[in-house]
Amino acid sequence: MAQPLVKKDDDRDDEADYSPFMGIEKGAVLQEARVFNDPQLDARRCSQVITKLLYLLNQGETFTKVEATEVFFSVTKLFQSRDLGLRRMVYLIIKELSPSADEVIIVTSSLMKDMNSKTDMYRANAIRVLCRITDGTLLTQIERYLKQAIVDKNPVVASAALVSGIHLLQTNPEIVKRWSNEVQEAVQSRAALVQFHALALLHQIRQNDRLAVSKLVTSLTRGSVRSPLAQCLLIRYTSQVIRESGNTTQSGDRPFYDFLESCLRHKSEMVIFEAAKAITDLNGVTSRELTPAITVLQLFLSSSKPVLRFAAVRTLNKVAMTHPMAVTNCNIDMESLISDQNRSIATLAITTLLKTGNESSVDRLMKQITNFMSDIADEFKIVVVEAIRSLCLKFPLKYRSLMNFLSNILREEGGFDYKKAIVDSIVILIRDIPDAKESGLLHLCEFIEDCEFTYLSTQILHFLGIEGPKTVDPSKYIRYIYNRVHLENATVRASAVSTLAKFGASVDGLKPRIFVLLRRCLFDSDDEVRDRATLYLNTLGGDIEIDNDVSDFLFGSLDIPLVNLETSLKKYEPSDKAFDINLVPREVKSQPLAEKKAPGKKPTGLGAPPSGPPSTVDSYERQLLSIPEFANFGKLFKSSAPVELTEAETEYAVNVVKHIFDTHVVFQYTCTNTIPEQLLEDVIVIVDASEAEEFSQVISKPLRSLPYDSPGQTFVAFEKPEGLPTTGKFSNILKFIVKEVDPTSGEAEDDGVEDEYQLEDLEVVAADYILKVGVSNFRNAWESMDPDSERVDEYGLGQRGEGLSEAVNTVINILGMQPCEGTEAVPPNSRSHTCLLSGVFIGGVKVLVRLSFGIDSTKDVAMKLAVRSDDVNVSDAIHEIVASG
Amino acid sequence: MILAVLFANAEGNILIKRFHGVPAEERLHWRSFLVKLGADNLKGVKNEELLVACHKSVYIVYTILGDVSIYVVGKDAYDELALSEVIFTITSAVKDVCGKPPTERRFLDKYGRICLCLDEIVWKGYLENTEKDRIKRLIRLKPPTEF
Repeated sequence: MAQPLVKKDDDRDDEADYSPFMGIEKGAVLQEARVFNDPQLDARRCSQVITKLLYLLNQGETFTKVEATEVFFSVTKLFQSRDLGLRRMVYLIIKELSPSADEVIIVTSSLMKDMNSKTDMYRANAIRVLCRITDGTLLTQIERYLKQAIVDKNPVVASAALVSGIHLLQTNPEIVKRWSNEVQEAVQSRAALVQFHALALLHQIRQNDRLAVSKLVTSLTRGSVRSPLAQCLLIRYTSQVIRESGNTTQSGDRPFYDFLESCLRHKSEMVIFEAAKAITDLNGVTSRELTPAITVLQLFLSSSKPVLRFAAVRTLNKVAMTHPMAVTNCNIDMESLISDQNRSIATLAITTLLKTGNESSVDRLMKQITNFMSDIADEFKIVVVEAIRSLCLKFPLKYRSLMNFLSNILREEGGFDYKKAIVDSIVILIRDIPDAKESGLLHLCEFIEDCEFTYLSTQILHFLGIEGPKTVDPSKYIRYIYNRVHLENATVRASAVSTLAKFGASVDGLKPRIFVLLRRCLFDSDDEVRDRATLYLNTLGGDIEIDNDVSDFLFGSLDIPLVNLETSLKKYEPSDKAFDINLVPREVKSQPLAEKKAPGKKPTGLGAPPSGPPSTVDSYERQLLSIPEFANFGKLFKSSAPVELTEAETEYAVNVVKHIFDTHVVFQYTCTNTIPEQLLEDVIVIVDASEAEEFSQVISKPLRSLPYDSPGQTFVAFEKPEGLPTTGKFSNILKFIVKEVDPTSGEAEDDGVEDEYQLEDLEVVAADYILKVGVSNFRNAWESMDPDSERVDEYGLGQRGEGLSEAVNTVINILGMQPCEGTEAVPPNSRSHTCLLSGVFIGGVKVLVRLSFGIDSTKDVAMKLAVRSDDVNVSDAIHEIVASG
Repeated sequence: MILAVLFANAEGNILIKRFHGVPAEERLHWRSFLVKLGADNLKGVKNEELLVACHKSVYIVYTILGDVSIYVVGKDAYDELALSEVIFTITSAVKDVCGKPPTERRFLDKYGRICLCLDEIVWKGYLENTEKDRIKRLIRLKPPTEF
């Protein structure tokens, strides 16, 4: 019986389950590669063998030097074949084998021949291969051909030469820069890709010549650019020119803005996006400039293409950091993205919403996020947690729902980094929002009941030891802490013992009961736990007399940066002299400027050392009080942020902190010597107060020695009228004796030379006398203040080119008060705005300010200022400050 | 700079990899990162539907085509939109060579051709060609039609 005819099916691969490379083995392929040496070349077979070699290379197979050389030599024989397909494979495999310099010579002559071939495609490929494997000496030989190729009529040849130029510019810039004229000609090419490649190369050649780049941009923005890719490049170069020129035209318009704006109407989405991104990145971009860009990005949010949605939401997320109000129009579109299948898009949408949302939308947003959190990865969750922390600091009134959210997600599954992010956030909220303290501490207590991370448990216990005793009812935390002593590993148990002791030391009423608990710890199985319990029982029980320093060290918070303590301990050599903790520098080494400016530095959570110099009044106060000359200045009212008095990367770096007391001002200059070959001695700052008449200098405390890279401090104190916000300008000169240091021995010479160094001027302004202290509910606070203390007046602020937000920021900065309820952000294009500020005036007087702004069509800004305070004189003083500012 | 182009099969085995400007010691990490990204997200995704992610300042656009997943990683000028242009060119060229979205077998059958296409599309981190018809001619050493 005849067999039914089975049709041979080309597409049998659907069911085939074996790979053409199955069982492929390097040795066998190398054997096969001998066909390259056959006198009668089988082009098809050779191509197959090259494919196998490519596959092996892609699978990460490596060839020994001998193997690679052998294959390479055989491959060069294939230039004899005239088969086009095989020749194309040969070009590819030569690049993949990346032969060594001495081998390259073998193939150079064949490639040079191809480069002069009449066949365009030989030329293009030979150029690409040669440029890949060549070095500088060969390059000078072929330079002439490359220059010709750049202006070749065949776009493939021209592109090959141009892209080679882009690569060669990295290794042989001098040679490639000589091709400028040819490249310039290629920029005018009618072939879209040639223009794109030429533009990229030309810009790289000229990137250090601002004028040339500016001319290039000017001419191209007027002409026609053929491909969207080239147009994108042009937009990028244009924004670079705008950034560098930095000025606006006489009409107030930004140069090239019209070009960027016109690109928003381009037919290619890539170009539209690039233009929108360029506009949002403009320095000091105004609402008017932003609006068209935001509009197109908003359209992209509802695109069917995930890439476009992602690009748009990513850009809007960035805009929201600086111009939250400009993005609010997109909130509805963004909310629909929370359920986007692409979790990156959803996370970006959520974090943007968290930045742009207002107080009333917080609860709704939190509900949406709760559903979303369960199905995203930890890294996304961390981003959301950080955004929620910022939101909570912005709207302190909403702490309850945000804190609840954090505590709920803390109970769910998650890795260490995620849990740490949540705990850090709760800690920061506890520190910054007093009302949130009690509930936050209880959430943390509940968390350590079931916490699998030793690190987090110990950190929380440490934090409880600091904050717990200050609460209304410290006893309620003891149970949670003592449970740790029973249920945890030794590290956590030891931490719990220390925490218990801190409660005992700070709360007298709890002491006897803490004693009972500590005594039980004496029978612990771990040495450290028993040792700690013994130490605390003895010190707290008064069996051993301890001085204040020891008590501070045991029970106070350690205000020494841990890095410094570690360095000092490492340097300490065992001797008769005990280690003196007071000699450990308090100053955190200032970071290099570039690092300081690095964006996205998140506030550190608990346990971590502060990221800058000690900024809290507490630690400054302790530091100043330890200096006898300042001991009678009374209580420190405010310390400013450090003001740099030198530019970055100068020989000596100096910054100053202004400390305000009731009748005195102390300038604390922190100096760093950045020259290893110098030792500075008797360092002092000479302050000229001729422009600060009401200040008179009382003390100047020099710094004895300033070795290389070890910051030291010198102080100058002034007397000033009591309780008044006296202002003035001070000029500063750093004076010192400089001694040469022998770099090999590190010893300084005996004789030094006196020298001085001019520093920047320093001003004491009204804002230095006002503490930024927020209120959680402004309206309540305002109404609870005596209406008779209110002083209202109106001011004309003149024309403000940048609109209301500039005016609002200026007034906030003059007063140095805390903006409340997010009112520092002005919606784009608003004609009026109310900003609420709160603070404490020198003398401890509470002040609230209500600023109402209005702007007319000529950008003239008027402001109504209403002040209430505990002292009418302070209300008047605020008006004086604004009037003179 | 296009930092990487990667083709993997359904099991996450690498079929073709191209790195540019990525230190050798980081490549393995990138490989596993991308494969995991695909395993987590590419299930049920339609052919050529683009997915996108970013990691610090690096962008990743990836998709699935038949049995093969394709990843393109870029930074600076090669942001998500430029990369989607790159991956579009790659998928068009692969479809062209294979005649349709390929099975793994078909992809491997056409392996040499696909490597050549890739060589025409991305050259040491830069996008060189974008049109599939042109690429089809170039890999046969034929000049482009418009010339």
